[in-house]
Amino acid sequence: MKLYIYGIIDSSNQITESTYGLEGSNIYNIPFCNIGAVVSQISQPIQDVTEGAVLKHEAVVEKLMADFTVLPVRFQTLIEGRDNLLSMMRSYYRDFKNNLERLRDKFEFGIKVIWPADKIKENIIKTLNKEQQKKLELGSSPSNKFMKDKFDKYKIDKEFEAKADKFIKVMDIFFSKFAAEKRIEKLKTENLLLDAVYLVEKDKESNFREAVEHIKTARYDFKYLFSGPWPAYNFVILSKKSGLLTDSQQTSLLNKVTQDQMLVGVDSI
Amino acid sequence: MNNVIAKSKDVTLLEILDRVLDKGVVIAGDMVISVADVDLIYLGLKVLLSSVETMERLRGSAFPS
Repeated sequence: MKLYIYGIIDSSNQITESTYGLEGSNIYNIPFCNIGAVVSQISQPIQDVTEGAVLKHEAVVEKLMADFTVLPVRFQTLIEGRDNLLSMMRSYYRDFKNNLERLRDKFEFGIKVIWPADKIKENIIKTLNKEQQKKLELGSSPSNKFMKDKFDKYKIDKEFEAKADKFIKVMDIFFSKFAAEKRIEKLKTENLLLDAVYLVEKDKESNFREAVEHIKTARYDFKYLFSGPWPAYNFVILSKKSGLLTDSQQTSLLNKVTQDQMLVGVDSI
Repeated sequence: MNNVIAKSKDVTLLEILDRVLDKGVVIAGDMVISVADVDLIYLGLKVLLSSVETMERLRGSAFPS
């Protein structure tokens, strides 16, 4: 019996409301101590990532989020049988419990800020050109020109990054006021100035939204993608690095499969 | 207007995909398939289950065993 796992919740009680997961099966809670893993039975692993399956997974997790603190589990996570699931829960109980306590009554919000990188660079170049006009001309030999071009590019990149840091710092000051935790990535691409997620307490949600609206008015030439509330996908921290199943459990699952056969399977994915 | 709605739907879907497929608790046992001490690929157990199914399907198909 394959169990598809949607999330770990801070309750050992059964889910009273009928909710249907993948393949239309009812979801239910498998309790372990005072927490539980919400699963549904599935006849076969999902072969393809489809929009419908992903949305169904997310719908179940969001439904759980309405009633419980939930640690969302990554899409397509299957476990073979109830016993293996309980072993997994035993193995990671402390981790799950710590995360559930830390994330209680908190949601994740995502914010992406897109800036007009080309224009920003143009402005930087204009400013640098003005500054250079005041300085003495360098010689025009090829080596001088090469060095000058290199140095100009370095200065532009440095200034570009400094500007990004400045904007992010200002925005982060506003957002952090109402956030418990954050994950920030700067300039994933030249245009994607900021890709951040903030963990916000339930009762600070409106303040956080106001802060976002306030920032939006500061620069109209930037684009802002704000999303949430999400289950805390980005804030679950597990202390165990490797998988949860013991070697013997993995072996029992895979005892029919030789390494060569596994590679056949891998090739065909 | 419809375009804006469609775009906004796409953005939402991308946000969902980013989280559901790439974030969250990973409770599958990662394992490494190695040949001659060279790590070829990291597999989540979830993928492995899929690959087992695929392999079984292939065994029943025209592929030589």
